Amino acid sequence: MFGLGRPKSVAEHEAEDDVARVYHEIRQVLRVSGVNLVFRKLAPFRSFPAIWDAMRPSAETRGFEDAADRIRADSARAAGRLGRVGARGRTRLGESQAYQVEKALDLYHYINPKLLVLTSTLRLALGGEESSRPGAESSVELIERGVPSRMYPMEMVPEEPDDARLRDLFGDIVETLNIPSVNSDYRTLALWPDYLAHVWEGLKPLATSDEHRLASDALIETSRSLARALPLGVSLSRERIEELGDDAGDVVEMIGTFERILAPLILNVSLIGLDWRQPDQLAGSPYPAASRSGPGGRRGGPA
Amino acid sequence: MSWREYQARQKVAELGDRFVSYVDEGQGEAVVLIHGIPTWGYLWADLVPVLAEAHRVLVPDLIGFGYSDRSDRFGRSIARQAELLDAWLEHLGVERAAIVGHDIGGGVALRLATLFPRRVERLCVMNSVCYDSWPIELMLQFGHPGANRLMSASTAAKTLGAALRQGFASSPDDVVLDGLLSPYSTEVGKLSLIRDASALDTNLTTEITALLPGIEVPALILWGEEDAWQLLVYGERLARDIPGAKLVPIAKARHFVMVDQPEEVARQLARFLGP
Repeated sequence: MFGLGRPKSVAEHEAEDDVARVYHEIRQVLRVSGVNLVFRKLAPFRSFPAIWDAMRPSAETRGFEDAADRIRADSARAAGRLGRVGARGRTRLGESQAYQVEKALDLYHYINPKLLVLTSTLRLALGGEESSRPGAESSVELIERGVPSRMYPMEMVPEEPDDARLRDLFGDIVETLNIPSVNSDYRTLALWPDYLAHVWEGLKPLATSDEHRLASDALIETSRSLARALPLGVSLSRERIEELGDDAGDVVEMIGTFERILAPLILNVSLIGLDWRQPDQLAGSPYPAASRSGPGGRRGGPA
Repeated sequence: MSWREYQARQKVAELGDRFVSYVDEGQGEAVVLIHGIPTWGYLWADLVPVLAEAHRVLVPDLIGFGYSDRSDRFGRSIARQAELLDAWLEHLGVERAAIVGHDIGGGVALRLATLFPRRVERLCVMNSVCYDSWPIELMLQFGHPGANRLMSASTAAKTLGAALRQGFASSPDDVVLDGLLSPYSTEVGKLSLIRDASALDTNLTTEITALLPGIEVPALILWGEEDAWQLLVYGERLARDIPGAKLVPIAKARHFVMVDQPEEVARQLARFLGP
């Protein structure tokens, strides 16, 4: 057994060979400007490229995008019932800083629901569950690839920053939320330390409430239901992971842990986002995906 | 002023899919201060309040630099920077401005003066790239395709910090140096700066050499005499090629002339810009 502290993660600038190839595909297929912690932590596994290759066909379908859109909308509505963080009003942000905070929140509000659906899908596949509807593969709509042009870069401060106040803040976040390491989201908001401090001050009581836990659990249940209904299956098994030299239990444990972490994180980003947008606005995708045009726009349909 | 205080003063303008962060202070005739590489608008922090007493001072972070857009998918050449500054001035409703540029910001200023002359009321360049004076070896190394994997952001910041010290005749304190490099201290910032460095292109100044004699606005060339990166001989050549240009060599100053001799630079600029 291992905790998420082991094996170490692979940062984007450290990626080489097949991991670099997979990281590029993740950015292109998931339409995201950076590689999230879940992938950085999975990357040291020998089976990581195979896990991604199994997941990729489903991740580029309209069905997958729609599932993530549903999670995002549910999260925005649930957050609206939980309360307000109120950090924006308490922080003195300049015009450009405020603009960039909002764009950073959009980034995570977009990608985290996709990661939740992805982890649920992998968890089902590795649990031996069939995750696609029979016959649905005959003609599946694909979405466009590539990072949305206006998406904020996934910039973040180091996990162990020089700033003592930030280190304390990260420590409190990790301990309070019972997570193995501080998520990219908080590390990005730490680019504006006063803002993150106010965010955490307002978020902490909300994120530790029973209502928050119930809403998170509901997101996980929805994600699993949506994963079961995705049009394309994921061809991956514990045996395949063992063949590639990894302990399948370790991989399953890590994916399960991230599924557990992502649901409350999605809610938290929605809660933070409510300082900037109304719940109805927040329910929509910040980066709606167009259909892939041209002869490759559908899988299984006419070439 | 700390870099965080300066950052909090920045406004933002969307130009298509890109955004530019900038400081906009004071009232009067517009003056645009353009930084070089590897710095950002903070380079001008001490000069802004001085000039803002009589002018509207506009200080953009070039695209891909500072706290302007630093995502991955756009051009960063000085040609593109000049086009974007033209669009940015249009966005702000500024028809003409005095353009002041340092380092590659000087290259941008020269392109504005030659290719967008309707925008330029006056021209000042300081220790500017021009002709075939650039890129310098430090930036060529930094823009190497393998640089992203060869060094972490913290290593890159330390390396740059040590190298930048050679650009000062004075001994700038750590607050200034850390501030100048603050946007590049993260992995995203480092990668953006690598892309900026790899976009440095001598051809974009050599191709306007023949246009320099056509510059018709008043021109001032301020040059730290001891600059080993952009040699004074280039300033002298600019003074010969731009009609009526005045060259003012600044003693006891290297590349970062506005930090080495802030009072002299402010005095020269204030005199050049007028009341």
